[in-house]
Amino acid sequence: MKKPILAVALSALLAAQAGFAAAEDVKVGTIMGITGPLANFIPPILNAAKLAEADVNAGGGILGGGNFELVVADGQAAAQPSVDAATKLVNLENVAAVMGALSSGATIAAANAVTIPNGVLQVSPTATSPSMTDMDDGDFLYRIVPSDNYQGEVLAKIVLDEGIDRVAVAYVNNDYGVGIAGTFKENFEKLGGTITGYEKHEDKKNSYRGELATLANGDPQALVLIAYAGGSGAKIVKQSLEAGLFDRFIGTDGLRDDLLIEQVGPEALATSFFSAPTSPAENPAGEALHTRFDEVYGEGSDKPFVDQSYDATMLIALAIEKAGSTDRTAIKDALRFVANAPGEIVGPGEWEKAVKLLAEGKDINYEGAAGSHEFDENGDVAGFIGKFVVDGDSYKQVAIFE
Amino acid sequence: MMDFINFYLVPGITLGAIYALGAVGVSMIFGILRFAHFAHGDLMTVGAYFGLSAVWLLGIPALAAIPIAVALTCLVALFADRAFYKPLRQLPTIYTVIASFGVALIFRSVVQLVWGTESQVYSVGFQKPIVLFDSLRIATRHIQIILATAAITLGLHWFLHHTQMGKTMRAVSDDPALASVAGLDPEKTIRWTWIIGAGLAAIAGVFVGLDTDVHTMMGWNLLLPMFAAALLGGIGKPLGAIAGGLIIGIAEEICTYPFFGESLISPSYKSAIAFVIMLLILIFRPRGLFKGRLL
Repeated sequence: MKKPILAVALSALLAAQAGFAAAEDVKVGTIMGITGPLANFIPPILNAAKLAEADVNAGGGILGGGNFELVVADGQAAAQPSVDAATKLVNLENVAAVMGALSSGATIAAANAVTIPNGVLQVSPTATSPSMTDMDDGDFLYRIVPSDNYQGEVLAKIVLDEGIDRVAVAYVNNDYGVGIAGTFKENFEKLGGTITGYEKHEDKKNSYRGELATLANGDPQALVLIAYAGGSGAKIVKQSLEAGLFDRFIGTDGLRDDLLIEQVGPEALATSFFSAPTSPAENPAGEALHTRFDEVYGEGSDKPFVDQSYDATMLIALAIEKAGSTDRTAIKDALRFVANAPGEIVGPGEWEKAVKLLAEGKDINYEGAAGSHEFDENGDVAGFIGKFVVDGDSYKQVAIFE
Repeated sequence: MMDFINFYLVPGITLGAIYALGAVGVSMIFGILRFAHFAHGDLMTVGAYFGLSAVWLLGIPALAAIPIAVALTCLVALFADRAFYKPLRQLPTIYTVIASFGVALIFRSVVQLVWGTESQVYSVGFQKPIVLFDSLRIATRHIQIILATAAITLGLHWFLHHTQMGKTMRAVSDDPALASVAGLDPEKTIRWTWIIGAGLAAIAGVFVGLDTDVHTMMGWNLLLPMFAAALLGGIGKPLGAIAGGLIIGIAEEICTYPFFGESLISPSYKSAIAFVIMLLILIFRPRGLFKGRLL
């Protein structure tokens, strides 16, 4: 007689524990290029992800009151270190999903080697390479910036609108550089522009004077430079100016780094301009987020990819809440449900409202600070590209393309 | 032709000078302590950051910060030797080699902790080069780097051939057993090896910062060409290392010159040049140009 009683008591205890465990703590990994060529971008981007983490916890927690924890790993914005970082997050930290990585090369490497084979949802806030679109990713890889197929097209238009129809192109030899340089070249030539030189280079070298001398042949009006400012970008701009080879530069999001202005000085960049993914022009939810961001961290809400980082983290948290557990496949399946229309619209800072709607069994549609994030079948989104010019020690958006 | 000198040869010599200064330490440590010091690149990083602090705190130009950077970097190297390498001295050298990997990571992490991970410059903006004879354009800092390296080479040559310690170092490097039988003090020799190796690494680090920027991976990225330069010159031959550094630096830069209207190789393969030269040397002339020790 004793045994069944014990068994009943035990199962009751287990049930109670299971009920308690329903408020599950959730870990989400994030791969950031804390060291390496993107280091200068990271502090505000990481703060934005942390703000999303804090919003979830302040809004009642995740999965019935559990703690939502962001585990940060350094991917050095390079392929191999990002694979190592992703392996650590997925296998050791046992995270439910991964936010990151930032650069395309790092994101693709981490996805191919770790998150896709392990069936872990990965959402990059910033990776723009066109080659991600057609990756065989089992629907586990998403991003919330538009592909460079689009940025290349917009950039070609912006350049021609400035009255520049002869350019040389220098691009860094990685997934990011090769991708956007290719789409820019194609669109620029299609619209009637001439590419006078087209050369890739290796990151991390000390001198690019040789390549630049070759590129300056053929009388280009400006240099289109697709590189990270902290990698080769600032060096190339500096060495071009010193040698008098180029005095006008056209950059993409990788070059639009305050570091460039810090190292070169704003005067020399007065005629240069930049393209980068940006947030919609009129977005009250985004503005409210920026105000809160600056209240918490003092400054930095206007820095690149702050919105995207917040949104990516928030989308992952919503997908987990919708999945109702840390089951990795269920989380992946839930992402489109919370991100795409139809559904009741929730925005940044509305975690509590979203949880309540999900608990009532309603469909939700997260519209973030960086855009509405409607994922297509490839895990890509449409988005906005801005044109930026140097303004003091930072950048100013002067036009926006949808 | 002037393009070749302005944009390929002079940057090549500058880069070669930086490799050369780093390679001297690698070669001497290899020759006298008998191990491949993988933390040498990061020692260079440490030197560059000490220079940066001096520039920030004292408001002096980078060149004036060199003595401070050298002194502090020597202390760091002597400390690393005492704390990490000396206890392993009697074991097979592979222990020390692996330990030096660890020390490299320690150096880099401490630098990231103290100075942050963002890349920095000694001075903001850019300088227009000096134009000579209407067509020769050389940046002032390149002249400074090249002249300083030449002076250091002469000084090193004098030190090795005309001072007691220099002769001792060459003796230990050539035949350690004979040197110790002759009663030469090995610990003192080792101390001086570190002082010279670390001092030159610090100078090279400041030069890199002067030429481009200071970041936490700078030394690590230069490690491979520095080893290639040391092998090319011959292990244990400091002047060979200088020659090797210059050859590799110049080869890396001029290989992209369009000699026949077209670049010889794509600039994205520049880094491979050091590898190729290192492999060829190991296969065809394993003792290097200056007849160094066999590995």
